[in-house]
Amino acid sequence: MTADLPHDPAPDDETRAAELALGLIEGDERAAALRRVLAEPAFAAAVERWRVRFAQLFDLWPDAVPPPELIDRIDASLDGVVPSRGRRVPWPLIASVMTAIAACLLIFVAVRPDPVAPPPPPAADAPALVAGIAADKQVVGALYRPETGSLRVAASTLAPTGRVAQLWVIAGDAAPYPLGLLTGETTVIRLTPADRARIAAGATLAISIEPTGGSPTGLPTGPVVGTGGLSAV
Amino acid sequence: MGPEAGVTGPEEPLTLRPVPDPNAARAHLGNLLIRTGSEDRAAFRELYDLTSAKLFGVVHRICGERTAAEDVVHEVYLLIWRRAGAWEPGRASPISWMATIARNRAIDWRRAAGVRAARPIEDADTVPDPSPDALTAAVAGDDRARLLGCMEALDPRTRDAIRTAFFDGLTYRELAERAGSPLATIKSVIRRGLQRLKSCLAPEGGDL
Repeated sequence: MTADLPHDPAPDDETRAAELALGLIEGDERAAALRRVLAEPAFAAAVERWRVRFAQLFDLWPDAVPPPELIDRIDASLDGVVPSRGRRVPWPLIASVMTAIAACLLIFVAVRPDPVAPPPPPAADAPALVAGIAADKQVVGALYRPETGSLRVAASTLAPTGRVAQLWVIAGDAAPYPLGLLTGETTVIRLTPADRARIAAGATLAISIEPTGGSPTGLPTGPVVGTGGLSAV
Repeated sequence: MGPEAGVTGPEEPLTLRPVPDPNAARAHLGNLLIRTGSEDRAAFRELYDLTSAKLFGVVHRICGERTAAEDVVHEVYLLIWRRAGAWEPGRASPISWMATIARNRAIDWRRAAGVRAARPIEDADTVPDPSPDALTAAVAGDDRARLLGCMEALDPRTRDAIRTAFFDGLTYRELAERAGSPLATIKSVIRRGLQRLKSCLAPEGGDL
């Protein structure tokens, strides 16, 4: 924390966008700027412009040769990794099915909002968490089961053709953290132990619209279509 | 074909190709990225061959240690394998897109690992100086030439601070620690520099 200094006034939007793109700010300031990326498309675009501008400098960066065996290590680890393809899913064909699935899941989530005494899940005393993410024309239901570490999200089409919906978690002042892509049908995301630690009551789930394959920057780049808080059931 | 093609005489156009065409190289990388997006492993390997020295350079400088840099680069190429389908031709250049992923990952690693970004002072000299490349840049692309020109127009202290922030992935606080200056001073130096850069790059007015 650097709060011992008098709080300096926030700079103008362009400067703030450049600061975020360069990674100059941290802590609360960074979190606040990232929330603006989520909420303000113009600000998000300014950050992206600065990122592209500074990327021109990469040409000047000195090269360094990695160890020769690294490519084999990388190649060997590709097997479990499925690339996100630019392939289009025939939405009209399956949209109705997905809507039905989404509706079922929503009912499933909605029906268990506050059982008086939820039986403690086996092997973990953490309660299940739900969030209702208010998106454009729907409420996207999300259910997290701590005993399996799985996050189930039901959404019908959120992204226009050629874009994908990406799910983020924002815990307190932390930066939005990508959890996975929402394919349009019910998505079950198996969270890694590190990711599980980010899922807690009070954290916010957000959905942004990103290029195919997800945000290339690790932070939301597109418009945010919905947010919702996680709470215990 | 030169403008005077058709005239028989000395084969002048051949002598006018001193450097490999940067646009062709960029197009080739773009092609490899697109093929990588459709699970073409041979393309992925060639992409690695052509870009790993740059990406390792980026990551190594920010992480500061070789073993960690190898792990981060490994992770970066897995991300590239997964996200290659998201790269859009005409937006960022392939190498910029990849290097941005590498820089962000390296910074994430360093901050998560709590590694201090302190560095011996003499190392600061290895921050690349754009001046010698200005000519290449002028040939290679308007955007880069403009950025470099605008960076050059800054006073040396401001330019160094912004360059160090970029190349070493430092926050205001880390820059202040390294320079031994008050945080407020570093902030105002860089903010003024960023504002000057902005008006130099887009003099016709803000696009925000």
